[in-house]
Amino acid sequence: MLTRKGKYGLKALVHLAHLPTGQLAFVGDIAHANNIPKKFLDAILVELRNAGFLQSRKGKEGGYRLARPPEEIMVGHVVRVLDGPLAPFPCASRTRYQPCDDCDEARCQVRHMMLDVRQAIADVLDERSLAEMRDCASELEEPLHQQA
Amino acid sequence: MSGKRSIVIVGGGASGVILALHLLKSPLPDLRVTIVEKRQSFGRGLAYSTQLRDHLLNVRAEGMSADADDPEHFRRWLAKRGLGGPNETPYYAPRRIYGDYLEELITALEKAEPVRLRLVRSEALSVTPTANGVEVLLANGASLVAHAAVLAVGHDERPAPPQRFALRMASEEDTPVDPSVRVLILGTGLSMVDAWLNLEARGHRGAVIAVSRRGLLPWPHRPGRPIRLDSADIPLGTELSYFVDWFRSLVRETKRSGGDWRDVVDGLRPFNQRIWQSWPASAKRRFLNHTKAWWDIHRHRMAPDVHVRVTEALRAGRLTVLAARVVNVRQYEGGLEIEVQHRQSRTIEVLRVARVYDCTGIVKNVEDGSIGIVRSSIERGLARADSLKLGLDVTPECAVIDRDGAVSDKLFAIGPLTRGTFFEIDAIPDIRVQCKALAQRLAAEAR
Repeated sequence: MLTRKGKYGLKALVHLAHLPTGQLAFVGDIAHANNIPKKFLDAILVELRNAGFLQSRKGKEGGYRLARPPEEIMVGHVVRVLDGPLAPFPCASRTRYQPCDDCDEARCQVRHMMLDVRQAIADVLDERSLAEMRDCASELEEPLHQQA
Repeated sequence: MSGKRSIVIVGGGASGVILALHLLKSPLPDLRVTIVEKRQSFGRGLAYSTQLRDHLLNVRAEGMSADADDPEHFRRWLAKRGLGGPNETPYYAPRRIYGDYLEELITALEKAEPVRLRLVRSEALSVTPTANGVEVLLANGASLVAHAAVLAVGHDERPAPPQRFALRMASEEDTPVDPSVRVLILGTGLSMVDAWLNLEARGHRGAVIAVSRRGLLPWPHRPGRPIRLDSADIPLGTELSYFVDWFRSLVRETKRSGGDWRDVVDGLRPFNQRIWQSWPASAKRRFLNHTKAWWDIHRHRMAPDVHVRVTEALRAGRLTVLAARVVNVRQYEGGLEIEVQHRQSRTIEVLRVARVYDCTGIVKNVEDGSIGIVRSSIERGLARADSLKLGLDVTPECAVIDRDGAVSDKLFAIGPLTRGTFFEIDAIPDIRVQCKALAQRLAAEAR
């Protein structure tokens, strides 16, 4: 399930993907431009940095930038870091799986189907790069990110 | 062009033979497959040429079928010969038996399909692209013309340049030595264990010292239940430290529910190539420098019987394992003087040994490798090393990438040579999957 955290993280990454290679952005600017609470975004960006998707620099000239070209960062990989294993249902995960109290998971047809669903989700998200996500958004709203 | 499609496979070891078996599953009557192998026998290569009974497969019989679509094939072949025991017990067959298996499969196929399959005993020296395909020049002066060539040359047969004072076990230079002398083995992994078993079988009584930077020995196999994972569960594309943290916490959770770390390592196996491919170059480099030695001893384990013998030899002092680094090598009248620096204490020790065997495994730089056709392909720009220089730069579809980054549609590579892209591609369970996919592509292009 894509949480608010996952959504904000992706928005911040797309924001950074619009910038010229290597240019840093302030957390406050990213938060403001994307309507994300700054404190929350701080925590999200630290997680993304620890996972190796972002680089940061401290100080007056500091901020965040992508650690790799946006073509090499896959959306599914980012979502796993922010939201854990991709799972449409709490029980449809193998490692972070939470059993339902009202059914037997080994024979639950709903769970079996949901495992297929999440595989399909993974297949889509793992093939979609940040660059593709950025470019399809700019097709929708051409002038919005021109200030970058 | 008519429906004819000809393919030359350079190298008739396990990967070349398994590719041919998958190619000839295609019903196309005009398919022509030629395997070129410099050894007398086909299907054995470096790994399965050993005649030693003690050299066992490191993978159970179920994992070793040559047919990606029929995992029980090897097990049934064994059972017909009264080998392998009851189905429930893990069976690690002698490697020479596996060589027999592959050789029998390919020679039987040659008899049954004299037109579509040809086995050529010679060494392939070079491959050259032509207007319609490729030309492969052989050491016997002949040349083979085909639509496509697949390099399946396997592991290097000679030590990497920094280790040229060492020699490979059972190579031509490995002349008989006095069984009472002291010998040194570079490397402490599964190849070292094989070399030690060789020495034992020869009746060697002198001390055997094995040395590697960390001095880590492979763990033994133990029956277990690999955890079930989907790719949606596994963090991909992250830095190495993030992945390692995830891995460690998964091991802790698995242990808490009564499992073993082996269950995690083995459960991850179907995804190892995918994880590797998802990593940024920095994570791959860090893994090779810091984590691989540790990963290898958990991932590439000893058959239980072999582990018992190694443990006993360590206890008795017949085998010693050192965590140290070779800093200097000098000749002396009785052999070689090897100066090593111990990892922990930093102290220098001088070891006088009669012989040094190289069991360090992979060549550090494919450009320095000893296989002529690989070097010549790189030198002429037909191929290039991958960014880590582990092997040739190939696409996930096994197509060779040239010096300028162009993807070839007639030159391919499989097996250990594709390590940079596939990472774990030394063992049959992975090679057969790779061969199946390439065979489907090559046969599909014939239509």
